[in-house]
Amino acid sequence: MLANQIAAGEVVERPASVVKELVENSLDAGATQIDIDIERGGHKRICIRDNGKGIVKDELGLALSRHATSKISSLDDLEQIMSLGFRGEALASISSVSRLTLTSKPKAQLQAWQAYCEGRDMAVQLQPAAHPDGTSIDVLDLFYNTPARRRFLRTEKTEFTHIDELVKRIALSRFDVAITLRHNGKVVRKFPLADSKAAQSKRIMSVCGSGFQQNAISVDADYEGLQLSGWLAGPGGEREQNDLQYFYVNGRMMRDKLLNHAIRQAFEGLIHGESYPAYVLYLTLDPRQVDVNVHPAKHEVRFHQARTVHDFVYRVINSTLENAISAGLLVAEEADDSEAHVVVAEQATKQASQVREYEPAHNYIRPLRPAATHGTSGYARAVDVSQQPTAAAHYQTLMQTPDAPVQSAASQQIYWLPLPNEQMLVRIGSKFFQLSHNHIVAAFVEASLGSLIEKQQQPVSQPLLMPVALAAETNSDVQEQNLQAGLLPIGIDIALMNGRWLLRKVPAGLRELPWSQLLPDLIKINDGVNCYVHMLAKAVTQLPQPVSANIQQAGMRWLSTQTEEQGCFWLERWGRSIPLTRWLSENE
Amino acid sequence: MMQPPDSPPSSEQQLMLRASALAGLTLGELADWAGVAVPQDFRREKGWTGQLIERWLGAEAGSRPEQDFPELGIELKTVPIDALGKPLETTYVCFAPLTGIAGQRWEQSNVRHKLARVLWLPVEGSRDIPPGQRRVGAPVLWSPNTDELLLLQQDWEELMDMISLGQVEQITARVGQVLQLRPKAANGKALTQAIGSHGQPIQTRPRGFYLRKNFTQNILLQHLYLSENPLA
Repeated sequence: MLANQIAAGEVVERPASVVKELVENSLDAGATQIDIDIERGGHKRICIRDNGKGIVKDELGLALSRHATSKISSLDDLEQIMSLGFRGEALASISSVSRLTLTSKPKAQLQAWQAYCEGRDMAVQLQPAAHPDGTSIDVLDLFYNTPARRRFLRTEKTEFTHIDELVKRIALSRFDVAITLRHNGKVVRKFPLADSKAAQSKRIMSVCGSGFQQNAISVDADYEGLQLSGWLAGPGGEREQNDLQYFYVNGRMMRDKLLNHAIRQAFEGLIHGESYPAYVLYLTLDPRQVDVNVHPAKHEVRFHQARTVHDFVYRVINSTLENAISAGLLVAEEADDSEAHVVVAEQATKQASQVREYEPAHNYIRPLRPAATHGTSGYARAVDVSQQPTAAAHYQTLMQTPDAPVQSAASQQIYWLPLPNEQMLVRIGSKFFQLSHNHIVAAFVEASLGSLIEKQQQPVSQPLLMPVALAAETNSDVQEQNLQAGLLPIGIDIALMNGRWLLRKVPAGLRELPWSQLLPDLIKINDGVNCYVHMLAKAVTQLPQPVSANIQQAGMRWLSTQTEEQGCFWLERWGRSIPLTRWLSENE
Repeated sequence: MMQPPDSPPSSEQQLMLRASALAGLTLGELADWAGVAVPQDFRREKGWTGQLIERWLGAEAGSRPEQDFPELGIELKTVPIDALGKPLETTYVCFAPLTGIAGQRWEQSNVRHKLARVLWLPVEGSRDIPPGQRRVGAPVLWSPNTDELLLLQQDWEELMDMISLGQVEQITARVGQVLQLRPKAANGKALTQAIGSHGQPIQTRPRGFYLRKNFTQNILLQHLYLSENPLA
């Protein structure tokens, strides 16, 4: 299909990408021996042979079709990808731009079978073949049917260099697999199984050169599920190119910005800014903590805990270098620089040892200055406005059910009709009343605060964000005490301070009343609690403007919870009864 | 007439008593009784209000990394509000560390520590009210709830990620839902060290963590007026 050819461009960019995809497939198949044969830089032929678990005959055709991946059966698997190739596009993509032969023999299958597929018609032909346990994939004439891409191929030498580099990367990621690379029939790389430390060193040396291997500092640290191991070259071992930078995340080679940043930061001050640190490092972490499905070429990852990973890598490398320097393992190249190294190392110790908070002095905040004339000392007075436990408990319950008016049996629908001048006509049962919203609120205030007194309940108060103040005409402690005695039981906290009345707390739910307009009426009287309740209610009716919509609604909700008898009582008390029923029957 | 206390509060209750007693009083009154001069305007006296309130609550003077009431584990924040009770400014939390932050976690961060328990004290801050006549509002003692903690942590992680990864210069005041990072210095000339985009040290202006205004406003409103209809 054409779509396959187009998609092939994503995965199959050049011969090296074919090698990458195929070798990764071999590794996923559990191969311990992989032989790679390249002819003419991969232009002519790429052949990969492994001793992995093989592909059964029935699945050979499927293996060549796009998105047939056996490695992911559900979306959940995508979250913990441990296998290297998973997108199920490699074989199909490659076969759509080459002449591809796939030969395989699973151990349990007596006979090897070969699938052949050429170009875009993708008809797969099967035939028996001779082959040891494992799989061989032979890719001939890459891009033979896509001349445009073929033109982009570089010289055979360049393409082979890419393949060689790729094989080195893979060799460093899998010490448990033997790999052989041949070019035009000659063995170029031979990595035997490296199951011992010595064999691993040998492999490192053959990939990175003896210079790196001899001076490498080994790294091994883990911290809460993150593990970093490998080798790095200390100061003096840096390179002029970034050709010795091997970083693996869960076995997958990465060139990731975040990791580069962490490493660069760890080397800061230790090597010249223009040069590149050399390293072979392996980061292992819970696969659920990384998202590798970011880029088809899979060179970048996304870490869920990006900063944690970054800081871990930074700290491990930094302290490894610092330890190596202080242990005298490394000799700085120049005398001038060595001092700087020590200083940097010390800083690193401090940084690594403890996270400190930098808090400069606030010089621009001046200390308080004494006034020109010192105030005479007086007595301290504090009004007890602390939340009493009971009140707090009430408040809690109220907060949990903020908007659930009690639906008692009496609960009823209120019918009302707006009239001019903020008035309205309210019907309860067969009775009609004319009054304003403020009158209903007055009834609501009187009824609810009155019942607090009657039942001797602890009032629930709300502090006003900004207390209401009113200049006091007299400065009488007696008046203050009387007011407090009368108002505290209904949740109103008032105090006389420096010639002003301060209203600090009001009954919960009534915050939106215009308290600055109501306060003068409240402090006029000193006649006991019920009187205060009534005066407050009356003051509400005398307001020149309607109270806020929230309070109006609260009044209506309250009215709806009253029985017919109660409702009529309160509306008669605060409104005007309208003989509408009689008028209607008379005019029938 | 009142007098500032001469010892730190011994308990949360005592601190709340002291704070509640200030509600409705003007800064002029408080300064007068404490024997402190009232500045003509606040441009040259940054932090004056906070210091005055600290004195009235019995906090030791000065701004330190630890909380204002270390024994009680409580941080004091004065919030300038307008006539409608809306905060006029973002609230400074603490300095943002730009280096030496490898491995720092939210749980151990100074932001988390500072915001564990906060006594919010709103103070009138409109420019048309002279400093001496500005009044103190009702105190709110607050600890972040689960939702607020999550929001703070998400912002903190995002900001610290950017700082760690060398993107401090790319952080604008628009980053962060409730917490933001802004330059914090008396003038724009002060410089401090930070991490650059390639891991190299760079010089940049010191930064501070600030709480957005709507976050602070929600705290004040929720704690003062969560229930609007308790009598019904």
